[in-house]
Amino acid sequence: MMNKQLCTCVLVSDFNLQNFSGYLANDPEFPVIKPVSAPFGQPIATLLNRELPCWQNTPDFAVIWTRPHSVVSAFEALLNYETVSLKNILQQVDDYCALLVNLGERVKYALIPSWVLPSYRNLFGMLDMQTEIGLTNTIMRMNLRLAENLEKATNIYVLNTHDWIAQAGAQAFSPKLWYLAKIPFDNEVFKAAVRDIKAALGGMLGYARKLVIVDLDDTLWGGIVGDAGWENLVLGGHHHIGEAYADFQRALKSIKNRGILLAIVSKNEEQVALQAIRNHPEMVLKLNDFAGWRINWQDKAQNIIDLMTEMNLGLQSAVFIDDNPAERARVKESLPEVLVPDWPEDPLLYPATLFGLRCFEMLSLSREDRDRTTMYLTENKRQEFKKTVSSLEEWLTRLNIQVQIEELRLANLQRAAQLLNKTNQMNLSTRRMSEAELMAWAEQEHCRLWTLRASDKFGDAGLTGIVSLEIHDQSAQIVDFILSCRVMGRKIEETMIATATHHAQTLGIKNVYARYIPTPKNRPCLEFFKNLSPQFRQEGDCFVREEEQAFPVPEHIELVGS
Amino acid sequence: MALQTKIAQILFGVIDELNELRPTHEHLKKDLETPLSGDSGRLDSAGLINLIVVTEQKLAAELGRPIVLTDDRTLSQVDQVFHTLGTLADYIHLRLNEDNDE
Repeated sequence: MMNKQLCTCVLVSDFNLQNFSGYLANDPEFPVIKPVSAPFGQPIATLLNRELPCWQNTPDFAVIWTRPHSVVSAFEALLNYETVSLKNILQQVDDYCALLVNLGERVKYALIPSWVLPSYRNLFGMLDMQTEIGLTNTIMRMNLRLAENLEKATNIYVLNTHDWIAQAGAQAFSPKLWYLAKIPFDNEVFKAAVRDIKAALGGMLGYARKLVIVDLDDTLWGGIVGDAGWENLVLGGHHHIGEAYADFQRALKSIKNRGILLAIVSKNEEQVALQAIRNHPEMVLKLNDFAGWRINWQDKAQNIIDLMTEMNLGLQSAVFIDDNPAERARVKESLPEVLVPDWPEDPLLYPATLFGLRCFEMLSLSREDRDRTTMYLTENKRQEFKKTVSSLEEWLTRLNIQVQIEELRLANLQRAAQLLNKTNQMNLSTRRMSEAELMAWAEQEHCRLWTLRASDKFGDAGLTGIVSLEIHDQSAQIVDFILSCRVMGRKIEETMIATATHHAQTLGIKNVYARYIPTPKNRPCLEFFKNLSPQFRQEGDCFVREEEQAFPVPEHIELVGS
Repeated sequence: MALQTKIAQILFGVIDELNELRPTHEHLKKDLETPLSGDSGRLDSAGLINLIVVTEQKLAAELGRPIVLTDDRTLSQVDQVFHTLGTLADYIHLRLNEDNDE
């Protein structure tokens, strides 16, 4: 379980990683990393020997960074321009992957930088991309094989070293450091690697951003719509700045397709701005690409707070993009949890700056991610419907909520682990676990974990809840109690309590309790347990129920397949 | 700006880079008296190698004058050249002036 401030990281390599280790240890960004170096220059022996001190106490993650010819001997022969079959090389890649897959049992996550060749190894450039002859051709195939093999492991990720090389530029490979210290790369490569690894860890620990809030004038388009009119905005067309704004919108749309929500906070007349979005022929983003907006003349920081409250998201989920440095400074100062990136003055740099943000890392991509904006838009319809009924009870009844409860299994494991690792607000214990760890925990004889899918007449919210139970002698502990913020407040929470207590009841256990572990973000969970009816008795950080009967399922909820 | 001053500034930039690799309590001071190598030195062998490589890179980039600090001449007097930041600055100044004379 990885939910602490200090993460231990085992470094395994065939070259000297001392500089990389230094950057990793001294980088002040969260989470702080304590590197543990494996025996120098022995990657295969290190992977084979699970008794080595570096593998003890279940390190949080490992970085296995090798040069291709040190672990694939057939490739070394090719480097010497000997004749080697591609099949032989790929077989050795498979063998190496088999060793890596075993790592999954030793660490929570393993990160494998892809293989690269020094750029100066390009003596025969015209042959370089030929199959069975070209070095680059072969390295590309080896990396693909590496990625394909390791995709099957749920907690091993291949990272793109080429990106770090590109960021470091012409000096990326350092013959000088190699001959003096057996360090193949310049320090800029290691700095880029640390940035990516920190971002990956942020994703694993549930700190990835979920929402991008954008300004409109001179951010989403060029010009002031209130002054110029939507017909005269700089957007698209045969104009380099217009193209850049359109590309920035495309970039935003692309991350939306990966489950990142978009919203607008802008100082404008709402109708004027919405008219521009609806009518401008070059608008890439349409109104239904935005999960919400606040377009008015109020303070932007307050608008962001209101928007996040409406969307049931914590401020730490948001990124705010605005061309105006004064607005950025205002939001940065009053809402420090919101990420406010420095933004270039030049619109031509907008798309690249967005793609350069390292804050959206996700371990997997689920159906819920792809449909997230639609789900928020559906939620807006639900809230509109709420205004037409006379009471909360009537609203809940007329939503026709169905909940499908399933035990954890391979088919729902990926989404369950994602929910476990991303949810902050309605989260009792904020455990962070890999898919393998979660499944191993749930498979224990005294543990049970259920997932909940919620749907209603407006649509399917997908897998949005997790509740788990650990059985002790005469009591049962609710360990995980997790609900997506999208469905909070519809008494699905009570259905989760009912699920857990029902199971305890079947075992003849009356005493069911939940231990609340506070974080800066999970107060909604505490409030839920405090206000629960029928009541749980609060004893310190625990909420206790001692009843023979299971907690009732709310009347308005229909259970499906429980 | 005098060459000696420029060299000192470049070396302080090198120290900034080296400090990124070191825990805060082991940071090197940007001071010409800062001991580097030898008995009272703060750098281990890896630290010394980083110092050499980063110094060469920065001299080439900022003065446009490549200088090699891994040649036999330098390494045969490593404890003297790398005794302090100041001795390193003096040595670089000497080498650059020699190049000018040639």
